Amino acid sequence: MNDEKNIQQAIDLIIAEKGTAARAVIPILQAIQNTFNYLPEEALKYVCQKTEITPEQIVGVASFYSQFRMQPSGEHIIKVCVGTACHVKGASQVYDALRRHFNLTGNEETDASRKYTIEKVSCLGCCTLAPVVQIDEITYGHVGSDQVANVISDFEKQAGISGTRKGLFRNVDGSEIQGEIRIGLGSCCVASGSEDVKKAVEETIAHTGIRISLKNVGCVGMCHQVPLVEVIPKNEKPTLYAKVKPEDVPGIIASHFKPLGTFSMLKNSVYKFFESVQTDTVWDGVKQYSIDAREKQVSDFLDRQVPIATQHRGIINPLDIEEYKAHEGFIALKTCLFDLTPEKIIETIKDSGLRGRGGAGFPTGMKWDLVAYNHADVKYLICNGDEGDPGAFMDRMLLESYPYRVIEGIVIAAKAVGVTHGFFYIRAEYPLAVKRIRQALIYCRENNYLGENILGSGFSFDITIYEGAGAFVCGEETALMQSIEGQRGFPQIRPPFPALSGLWKKPTLINNTETFAQVSYIIREGSAKFSEIGSKKSKGTKVFALAGKVNRGGLIEVPMGITVRQIVEDIGGGVQNGKKFKAVQIGGPSGGCIPAELYDTPIDYESLLKVGAMMGSGGLVVLDETDCMVDIAHFFLSFTQNESCGKCTFCRIGTKRMLDILTKITTGKGTMKDLDELEYLAGWTKKGSLCGLGKSAPNPILSTLKYFHEEYIAHINGKCPSGKCQSLIKYQINDLCIGCTLCAQKCPTDAILFKPHEKHEVITDLCIKCDACRQVCPVDAVEVV
Amino acid sequence: MIKLTIDNHTFEVQPGTSVWQAAQSVGIEIPTMCYLEGTEHFTSCMICLVKDTGNGRFFASCSTPVIEGHNIITNDEETIESRKAALELLLSEHVGDCEAPCQLVCPAHMNIPLMNRLIAKGDFAKALEVVKRDIALPSTLGRICPAPCEAGCRRKQVDEAVSICLLKRYVGDEDLKCENPYQPQLELLSGKKVAIIGSGPAGLAAAYYLQQKGHQAIIFERNNQAGGELLQIDSEILPVEIIEQEVAQILATGVQIRLNETIDDTRFAELQNEFDAVVVAFGAVNEETYDFGLMTTKTGIFADKASYLTSIPNVFAVGNSLRASKLAVRSVGQGKEVATVIGNYFRTSEVKGYPERFNSKFGRLAEVEFIQYQKDSENAPRQKADRSGFTKEAAIREAKRCMHCDCRNPESCVLRELSDRYHAVQKRFQSEVRFNVEKFIHREGIVYEPAKCIKCGICVRLTRQHQEEFGFTFIGRGFDVKIGVPFNESVQKGLEKTAEIVAKACPTGALAMFNTEEQI
Repeated sequence: MNDEKNIQQAIDLIIAEKGTAARAVIPILQAIQNTFNYLPEEALKYVCQKTEITPEQIVGVASFYSQFRMQPSGEHIIKVCVGTACHVKGASQVYDALRRHFNLTGNEETDASRKYTIEKVSCLGCCTLAPVVQIDEITYGHVGSDQVANVISDFEKQAGISGTRKGLFRNVDGSEIQGEIRIGLGSCCVASGSEDVKKAVEETIAHTGIRISLKNVGCVGMCHQVPLVEVIPKNEKPTLYAKVKPEDVPGIIASHFKPLGTFSMLKNSVYKFFESVQTDTVWDGVKQYSIDAREKQVSDFLDRQVPIATQHRGIINPLDIEEYKAHEGFIALKTCLFDLTPEKIIETIKDSGLRGRGGAGFPTGMKWDLVAYNHADVKYLICNGDEGDPGAFMDRMLLESYPYRVIEGIVIAAKAVGVTHGFFYIRAEYPLAVKRIRQALIYCRENNYLGENILGSGFSFDITIYEGAGAFVCGEETALMQSIEGQRGFPQIRPPFPALSGLWKKPTLINNTETFAQVSYIIREGSAKFSEIGSKKSKGTKVFALAGKVNRGGLIEVPMGITVRQIVEDIGGGVQNGKKFKAVQIGGPSGGCIPAELYDTPIDYESLLKVGAMMGSGGLVVLDETDCMVDIAHFFLSFTQNESCGKCTFCRIGTKRMLDILTKITTGKGTMKDLDELEYLAGWTKKGSLCGLGKSAPNPILSTLKYFHEEYIAHINGKCPSGKCQSLIKYQINDLCIGCTLCAQKCPTDAILFKPHEKHEVITDLCIKCDACRQVCPVDAVEVV
Repeated sequence: MIKLTIDNHTFEVQPGTSVWQAAQSVGIEIPTMCYLEGTEHFTSCMICLVKDTGNGRFFASCSTPVIEGHNIITNDEETIESRKAALELLLSEHVGDCEAPCQLVCPAHMNIPLMNRLIAKGDFAKALEVVKRDIALPSTLGRICPAPCEAGCRRKQVDEAVSICLLKRYVGDEDLKCENPYQPQLELLSGKKVAIIGSGPAGLAAAYYLQQKGHQAIIFERNNQAGGELLQIDSEILPVEIIEQEVAQILATGVQIRLNETIDDTRFAELQNEFDAVVVAFGAVNEETYDFGLMTTKTGIFADKASYLTSIPNVFAVGNSLRASKLAVRSVGQGKEVATVIGNYFRTSEVKGYPERFNSKFGRLAEVEFIQYQKDSENAPRQKADRSGFTKEAAIREAKRCMHCDCRNPESCVLRELSDRYHAVQKRFQSEVRFNVEKFIHREGIVYEPAKCIKCGICVRLTRQHQEEFGFTFIGRGFDVKIGVPFNESVQKGLEKTAEIVAKACPTGALAMFNTEEQI
């Protein structure tokens, strides 16, 4: 009884805040889950009593979005990223290892003690740290399947002490600044430990008394080198340090700055002395970690890039509105508010040749024109930030690092098409982006870049944040609008297009985050300058998340028309570990694989479509000779199959049946007839599905069937040429074995027969192919056959 | 007005009309399952895809408004293929039987479950009528049939098969005993005449059904008594009176029989001229019998498997003349089928195989599913019978053991109708794993079988429209999405006002009223 009363009280509060309209259902459910950690049925029933929401709606919605849980989860949630980059680096083996670690069987997700719940997530957006595991707020990168026990014990240690840590940051008087230290705080940096590095800097500053300002900057894009620390001493050239560890920090600082006064110096050296005694760390010196900005590989990484959406990367503090203004921020907005007519703004965008960056490449200016042309009492604008492709995190980075640029683009668009209210639709898995945008909106309102009568121009406009609830299909515009309206994310047939009848049947402008981020540049610099960049039909730049088997991964912004080779070889520094380039997967689950023989394909909308890929939202995953293309097709299809909304026959069942066939093939049970049926289903799913998700879901299959047909045949003949497909491979120990027993110690199923100092042997029947033995072997004696 | 072209007809319709409605208005029928007039379109089944000749793309006609200058194709090969593909995908997850396994196994394809349900209700006359649609000699077969149907009976998996053969005998015997035995409806005489050589089970059945269709059947029997091989059976098992009574019922329809008339080569040739068709049903072929110059195989006379047409036009062959066996029920079934084939031939002047209807099948019940199917039946052991067959009470009790494996909507199901029309193959994309069958039964109202649902959402829209307190909703998403009542409430609670409405609107057999009988 007490419980019920508590629930009712909590719900009453939630409803008071979110309202009783049917469209409030998702925010209400999110609030309930935040309160109770799941959705208790009594809570949902009570909501139906107190609001316009019906049982049909609430159950339909709660069961549609994967964020919602109907059962309580464990105390901690372990999220195993199974995005593309993580997948190719063994994420599923890590997931299996975690399940074994907690003795989970069947559909169980929570361990017996109800302490941990294990979930797969499609992408945590830290592709360069793959494979990635996140436990609550702590992210672990490069996790091997043999390391899960370490990860858990480390987490328990961290969780135990986290509350006792003190923030030691001390503000420094600007006049006495000796220099500046910039620390990247994008998700990759944070995931790789930049928070700890930041704390170490703060501690060092506190102990040494060195007067330097510590500055947080957004994503620098060089995610392969994180955490990054840039030291800029006054009047000296900056030095960039890569892969910094907290224990490196005092040395880095000491090498650039002299402590003030002898007392401080003494204190500093004493502190350092005790530090090294206590922790017994041996510091290897700074040089090894520093990368000079003029060194070849860094300049290669940066030189080919053209930052427009990511302009001033690594320089501006994401939330510092003054700094944004100091870097030409809001100039374009002012121009649009005071100097340009809506027609002129749209004309400029049209002239620039900007096309939608969400993947399909519809001309942006034309879309704006359509919305502007449709006169209605109310129109809406939506910024689509529901990026959900495994292996893509451009939107997240733009929202986190350049919130004002996105907002500026939105307000300009609103002015051009005559909208007074906009929505930020941001994916549920991006809490940091939501936090930053929320804060940025507040600052914009304070500065009257939003709200009534913006800057006295007479134009009024404001934006509401709408958090997604975990459904990839909501990246599709009609499904996204259904979701804002409080419905299941079922796509709707077009026409009518949103420009005519969108949100609540009103004309609606919906653009991707990246599209909005390019607007201010075009207005400020002129359409001609923008359209000079790029290829004939694809103008400007495109942001990609470069990951996979590449030396330098990260977020890159490149001119359209650049070739795949230039990206992989020049910017990415080639394939990792000297392996051979096999293909690049572009466009995620809607895209396709471009094989080595098409290495010089230019990246623009048309060329990609021609080779059977797609711009998609911009994931670019490099694959090497050890990657199995059938497995890649299977991977993407299992993603789309899982994300299918289930509305139309071709997508709901077609993707499932294609996956059935691919599973048959990857387990060696496929036949040649299956290949024909696969192609038939792929063709009809593409032609017959209702929305873009279904229509593009077969692309990864069609492109691999086209370019890697022989690999499919090999699987049908019972062989996986790359040694990836578990059912078709065996582990074996060769003569290099030195008899160290390390593999046997790691083996979770006692499948290794061993005598110390003698060659060990794998008992195939017991082996579960978790790969732990191969990873741990010091002499590469474990091989896959 | 908006001008558009569909299948090369150019015409005008009001703006806002859907392509589907526009086609309908000029008599072009586009199939659909998820669209229901009076509810908002939902675009889910994708059966109504049509092709835009402008760009070659397919779109759902039910939910796309007409556009000026639209040029649309609804019936080319590719569009037909799209329907077949969609149907085959829907069928791949459709766990249900159009017809029960027993009926499919029965060589005469008798509607066994319907007979059982009528017996269970005590309506023996109607039950007999159902039997006689397929079996001309129920009392005879009720004594001698090895009952392959009982091997197919699902109840056998649970405990023991339903005693189908004895139930059939019971209604047959009841009919023979009663004052006004069943007489089938006879069509007006067509003027066509068919000669049937032999009066065994195959010949009798062929004559019986031809006569019903209005074609004069004349049997030529070399013996002095009708019955053929049946007369060889031990009279302890099959008393001769039973044969006589059943033959008498057949003759009562107007069938003529010429006893003691042996047909030789010459007479055979004459028959072909005198009659519109000849049916060879003279039993097993051996050295002593004639083959009349018909092409033969190792086992007997050659005839097409589906149409029974022999190597001579107008001459058909059935029963043991094709292959000797002790399965009288098969001969009876073939007699019925050849009658249909010949009837169609007379109508269309074209010999076509016996029409085979689409049947969804899902095979064996899993043990966990027994309980679902038992909901439709009564839990009693198989009833025993002595030599005189079932008592009335035993027959009713036994019939109630039937689990209603057949679908409640076998005639109104659009999925079946379209699968038939587009020759969809159910097995094509099926995987090893299927959904478990479930039956939610409300004996005073609705039956819901989720595994037959195609997720068209019509019921969800209807319960919303009628403002049900709970109604139906989509639960989950993707391949595993289910239609169900929110908060696990019962189906009747979800459908307090709309049970009959949704049952009628459901395009498959997922929703039906408990007592629906579409084949009565």
